[in-house]
Amino acid sequence: MISLRAALRAKTVFALLLLLAACVTLLPAVIKGDGTPEGDCRILVMYTIGFAFGILCLATLWAACALFAAEIDNQVIQLSAVKPVRPFEFWLGKWLALLVLNGLLILAVYGAVYGQILWKRRQAGWRENVQLVSRHIARPLLPTPQEEARETYTFLEKQQALPKGLSKGQILRTLTEKAVERYTLVNPGEQVAWRFTLARPVTPHEIVTVRIRFDTEFSTRTQVEGLCRFAPHNPGAQAIEIPLSDFSLNEIVFDVSCQVFGVTNTISGFDLSFKHSGDPAKSSAVMLRFRKDVALLTQGGTFEANLVRSAIIHWSVLALLAAFGLTLSACFSLPVAVFASTLLLLLVMVGTSVTEVVSQEDEQDWLKKPGIVISRTVNTVAQHAIRIDPLDAVVNGERIETGPFLEALLWNLLITPFGFALCGVLILRRRELAAGN
Amino acid sequence: MDAMNDVIQIKNLGKTFKDFWHRPVVEAVKALNLTIRQGEVVGLLGPNGSGKSTTLKMLLGLLRPTAGVITLFDGRGPEDVAVKARLGYLPEVSYLHEFLTPRETLMYYAALFGLPHAVAKRRTEELLNMVGLVHAADRAVGRFSKGMARRVGLAQALINAPELLILDEPTSGLDPLGCREVKDLVRLLAKGGVTVLMTSHLLADVEDVCDRVSIMNKGVLCANGATRDLLRNPDMVRFTIPGLSTEAAAEVRMQIEKQVDRPVHQDFPEMSLEAYFLKVVAPEAGGQAFKMASFLEKL
Repeated sequence: MISLRAALRAKTVFALLLLLAACVTLLPAVIKGDGTPEGDCRILVMYTIGFAFGILCLATLWAACALFAAEIDNQVIQLSAVKPVRPFEFWLGKWLALLVLNGLLILAVYGAVYGQILWKRRQAGWRENVQLVSRHIARPLLPTPQEEARETYTFLEKQQALPKGLSKGQILRTLTEKAVERYTLVNPGEQVAWRFTLARPVTPHEIVTVRIRFDTEFSTRTQVEGLCRFAPHNPGAQAIEIPLSDFSLNEIVFDVSCQVFGVTNTISGFDLSFKHSGDPAKSSAVMLRFRKDVALLTQGGTFEANLVRSAIIHWSVLALLAAFGLTLSACFSLPVAVFASTLLLLLVMVGTSVTEVVSQEDEQDWLKKPGIVISRTVNTVAQHAIRIDPLDAVVNGERIETGPFLEALLWNLLITPFGFALCGVLILRRRELAAGN
Repeated sequence: MDAMNDVIQIKNLGKTFKDFWHRPVVEAVKALNLTIRQGEVVGLLGPNGSGKSTTLKMLLGLLRPTAGVITLFDGRGPEDVAVKARLGYLPEVSYLHEFLTPRETLMYYAALFGLPHAVAKRRTEELLNMVGLVHAADRAVGRFSKGMARRVGLAQALINAPELLILDEPTSGLDPLGCREVKDLVRLLAKGGVTVLMTSHLLADVEDVCDRVSIMNKGVLCANGATRDLLRNPDMVRFTIPGLSTEAAAEVRMQIEKQVDRPVHQDFPEMSLEAYFLKVVAPEAGGQAFKMASFLEKL
């Protein structure tokens, strides 16, 4: 409590509070949406919370960098270091203080945004057009990207078409990255099918939403038409066919009541197929990333619960950043710690893009190699923290599932911070905390 | 005196500061041997750069010796938390958290010592009263003058009722009244069995309160012994006689000259400027000493 009270007296913290308040209240008014209630809701959740979270990320990182480094630089640590406190307790105390402060700030940001959503829902058009939902998401049953990469590698090996000068590991890593983003072309007249298993079976009274996002060659969607065939796994169930003609947006979404399948038992899986029925002479091919673009959505939880999970994930990411900053702070002086941490944060943010565009020539260039290795290492360490995009899930009404949610918390609040803490404590034990006169 | 009463034992202590490439830059302390016993008030003196503060920081575990051994209390190293629980430290500059008030500062450090909340609260109020900061107890210390910050620093050094008190320039930045209070406090603490190790550039302060003086120069211990022994001039004798008339004084002087067959110097003792200042501005200074004594009794 003493630390929190002191923090609130600091001008920097006061400025941060003002910035967050301005962000939460002014940003929704400043950013121009598409004029629809859905667009406004997306701005509120995606941009307002996203921007506030970005500010908190930087603030947490810099504050964590200052906690040890500034105290060592201005010698304030001398008074604390001579007290009967172990380095691990020091590290933990500062980390927990940041956790509490961040928890309060995240709560305030999310609370303010949720308050605005509730207030706006009272306006005409909102309640009808904006569905605040949370739904389970099921993806098609496909081999994992790693399995697909191994298969492709074996195929290329047999064809003697493996790229030269790269190790097996490097090739597999590239193939795995490509597998996630790989597009499959569905030409007019062609058909693709997927099988789904639901994590939570649905009853015949429930509604299942089918969502297919797509791109088209040359981004032309004229004359694209399709036919979806949708059927549960249950024996004797009827299949339904839905003709699709509106491809004006990059997303097709339709709801299906399970009663139409004529089953009495719960449904634990579905088969879905899509046939491109456009004119082969006039229409473009449809491009699909199976792992990302095709999904079945079923009712699960509430919007509020999803929002809370999103807030907790954001809080855990801040906890991770705090741990990282504290450890850098134990190693370096304040300017060095701030510079290094900001640079590494940027690397995490652009890391995926960097590793995706690495060419074979780049891999072999010894000048570029260290940068590539650092980007990949940072990306590997941070992959658990950035695996879930909670705001995207909240905006799209996709439930943040318990498994990935707990996994994110485990990595962000326990495993990775523990690793950082270990490094930080070892350095604090070795480091001299006073300068010689 | 047996080794059981040794609070600090320093053997062949050395410290060499190195640059980024680990090349030796300066040898700040060289083969220092020093033992301090319980209840002693020891002054560590020396010019700037003589290695006093470096020695203190090594004693506190803030710097690591490059040679030698330091043991405190029962043969433990300075980084042992059990040792730190028995220490009080006032650095050369009171490095305080600028956004905390004196009351919060003391509560914070009390918490680091693991004192129960009620004890911490009581001791905080007593210390604030003792250092005369009750009126400013709820103002952030970042706005304090150097002297006021020094008082907060002194209070935090006493929050755990330490057995060993290490004071680096304790009177720096204090007015004469504050200096006197600190010196009185040190004497009272020593009476209560607390061991005090202090450095100061103000030799009069050290002379006033220290039982023993150790003088360092260029990292080497040059002199070490009881203050009286070091300062005594064995070739001189001084008589102090109160209320003697001029005629009687001349008679006494003549008699002594006759006896020793040498000229005798006669003067009138003067009080120190500090004593005169205190007499003028704070004739009631004894009250503060009483406040300290009652605080120490409570501890």
